[in-house]
Amino acid sequence: MYLLVDAMGSQKKEFGGNNQMKNVKRFICLLLAAVLVLGLVACGGKDSSNDQTEAPDTQNNQATNNNESSENESAEKKYEEKVTITYACPQVVEGFDFTEGDDYVKWMSEKFNYVFETTNIPWGEWHSMLSTWIMAQNMPDVAIYNYGEGTHADAVNFVEQGLIKRLPDDWKTRWPKVAEVYGVTTLGPMLEELFEGTYFIPRARFFYNLPGDPLADHWSLWVRTDWIKAVGKEVKDHYTIPEVLEIARLIKEQDPDNLGSNLIPISMTAGNAARFFLEANSTHWDTFYKDESGQYVWGATAEQTLEGLKLWYQAYKEGLLDPEFYLLQHEQDLEKFQTLGIAGVSYLGGQTADVWNYRETFMNDTGNDPDDMKFATLLGTDGNYHQRDLINYWGAIIFSPDVEDKVFERWMDVMEFQCSEDGYVQTAMGLKGVDWDRDEEGNIVSLVDEDVLLVGPPGEAKYPSLGHVVGSVILWDDLAFDNPNIPEKYREESKALYQNRYDLSTPETFTKVDWTVWTHSTENMRRARSIDYPTEFANIVTTATSEDHLVELYNKWIDEQMSIIQPVLDELNSK
Amino acid sequence: MMSQASGYVDKPDFKSRIARIWVNVQKNRERYILVLPGLVWYAIFAYIPIYGLSLAFKKFIAKLGIFGSPWIGLYNFRNVFQDPSFVESILTTLIINVGRLIFVFPFPIFLALIINELRLNRTKKILQSIYTFPHFLSWVIVASVMINILGQKGLVNSFLGMFFNIEPISFLGTPSYFRPLLYITDAWKGAGWSAIIYMASISGIDVEQYEAAEIDGASRLQRMWHITLPGIKSTIVVLFILAVGNLMSGGFDQIFNLSNPATIKVAETLDMYIYRITFSGSVDFSFSSAVALFRSVVNLVLLLVADRVIRRIDGSGLLG
Repeated sequence: MYLLVDAMGSQKKEFGGNNQMKNVKRFICLLLAAVLVLGLVACGGKDSSNDQTEAPDTQNNQATNNNESSENESAEKKYEEKVTITYACPQVVEGFDFTEGDDYVKWMSEKFNYVFETTNIPWGEWHSMLSTWIMAQNMPDVAIYNYGEGTHADAVNFVEQGLIKRLPDDWKTRWPKVAEVYGVTTLGPMLEELFEGTYFIPRARFFYNLPGDPLADHWSLWVRTDWIKAVGKEVKDHYTIPEVLEIARLIKEQDPDNLGSNLIPISMTAGNAARFFLEANSTHWDTFYKDESGQYVWGATAEQTLEGLKLWYQAYKEGLLDPEFYLLQHEQDLEKFQTLGIAGVSYLGGQTADVWNYRETFMNDTGNDPDDMKFATLLGTDGNYHQRDLINYWGAIIFSPDVEDKVFERWMDVMEFQCSEDGYVQTAMGLKGVDWDRDEEGNIVSLVDEDVLLVGPPGEAKYPSLGHVVGSVILWDDLAFDNPNIPEKYREESKALYQNRYDLSTPETFTKVDWTVWTHSTENMRRARSIDYPTEFANIVTTATSEDHLVELYNKWIDEQMSIIQPVLDELNSK
Repeated sequence: MMSQASGYVDKPDFKSRIARIWVNVQKNRERYILVLPGLVWYAIFAYIPIYGLSLAFKKFIAKLGIFGSPWIGLYNFRNVFQDPSFVESILTTLIINVGRLIFVFPFPIFLALIINELRLNRTKKILQSIYTFPHFLSWVIVASVMINILGQKGLVNSFLGMFFNIEPISFLGTPSYFRPLLYITDAWKGAGWSAIIYMASISGIDVEQYEAAEIDGASRLQRMWHITLPGIKSTIVVLFILAVGNLMSGGFDQIFNLSNPATIKVAETLDMYIYRITFSGSVDFSFSSAVALFRSVVNLVLLLVADRVIRRIDGSGLLG
């Protein structure tokens, strides 16, 4: 630095003496000062209101009056002091004002007297970003933790280190409805026992309409019924993997819509293909389970896993799969089925809440009839439905250990209200008395026109805020069974799909949670969980040159992983 | 101060050296103030965080922070070396980066030499801008462009199918094409930017040498070989040593965006491995720090070895 400045000093003569230098110095100082001031101004203010938050005008006064019965459902509390609640989760709509952005959030924030400051977390960084904030002791007041087997170890660390709030011991008495919902999540009570206290409030997928225990997954086959009929096959509510491949072959041969080289019989990403071929055939394909002898074994080594892998290879080699399925990113497979209408089969989420939305998009984008697509259950080669218990939750509500009591209690009150029958319906259908009401028998009746988009992006929908952000403890899957905005025949189809999965499975193929494996969180297990199964198996499928070669690659991969897997098996079998 | 008797110059003592430096600082204080923010930035973001490397020898407990977390010695390193993917990722990294040294490193030199030979300044400047432009594209965009060009329904396959009746080739899904793809895209994207450094070095060569060589009847190629290349040799040496010092890292953005499940076996470099173990599932900063520290130490050793070897061959290196 000394030499640099010296060199700069030697240039002084070229600038023609002291006066010029002084002017330069003065100019630089002014410039730096201006930059600093501008920087402070730019960072100082936060514009929480947004040009996308304007919602269509609604009869707000009517909403206030007609919601009196909802107000009565919660304790008649008066919230004199306004509180500010900070919140983060991936479902937050970036840039949207969740305090006053539409009439729903306005109504909620006035009722509970709060300002709601939200932060969006990108889906792909849900766990890593939130974990970083938690470990930096800088998390917002409330957040949604992506609880799962893979993230349980971190949750244990957070609890042990006091990085998230332990709920007061009397919380169930003070907020009984939340406690009731919490009770059906299975995960909540299990964690409470494990941690000797409540740190996580899992959000329940179902409460009023729980399909069963273990809980069936919504992941379903999407099929083109018009193409299935065109190739002479039967449209059913369930297919085995070989049956789907047979249909795909016929679609490829006959090309019902004359799409030529654009036709993709089966459109899937690598991840969804792993679900289709492996998960649907081998319940424990990517985890550990107890075999018939009572010993823990690795699911990747199960016969059904290899069988599924062979079917995957077969489909790929025959050109039934998208030839570059490994390049497809999230929902690009959905696009080919739903938007472009060039795929005959896909394997995607089919949440009850979206059964009509998916069809509507399909109808609008492809010009087809909504009944030209259908959801069905995928069965393994043994004719059974395979799945591990989904567990009745998605994401868990956590609080910062530094959250003020008044903020914590206010948010618990919000959640208590959202667990009430009307409060819950409002999270999906808008304001009672304005957008929906109940008839004499208590059934929900929609009050909005069919062409009104209730839920959707800011600028298009009446309530961009509707979703799982504002205090949701019960998610939408439940309400979809009763939502009059979804045509009844599709709601019935959804209910039948769920029932189907119980009827076509056995306790061995559709299993309850093994909490021993689920909560096993040693260093060895962490490393074992870093294996990216869909990518590894997709690589084997695309690299193999024959079925024998596929088996050779598979065996080689199994051997390579044993140095990570065996220590876990030893730990589990010693318990 | 000269000693008349001995003829040796006495070295100024420490205090007087400090005094001289201080006087110089006072005289040039505005300039020192100007470089101060950069130095402070370097200190805060490059040097101070070095203490975080101690995480590699600790079990990180967030509540206790880095300083308070307990020491566990080489436990993390032991676990690192037990993971077969780690060893494979090292080999993959070395293979890819040695390939970069061989195939990509000379490209900007070649480009700089060619551009330098252009007579018209305006053409030179325009071409320089064109070649530099790809540097500003993100790898996300480059990957999308590659998919459109090289995909089975992309430009190249459409051309091959239309004019030569060749079946679509899976350029992006064939492991053996992955490294060439990396080198080609790296050269295309980075050569123009790197060539700027060589062109700056070329501009420092004495023009009279070229005039003299022309008078002596040297051809363009001969002038390039005997004057230009030796003239930028020191720049090439410095950049080469730095490139060797990065042999165990670099290229994460490129590889992350260009790789896919079909090519993952030839694409999982150390950076990709660190990314996978850090963010897929539970976050283990200690484990990731151990891997990152190992990589940095190897890079440092390679850099020192390269510097020493080149100093022996050439007489001058990067580190004096």
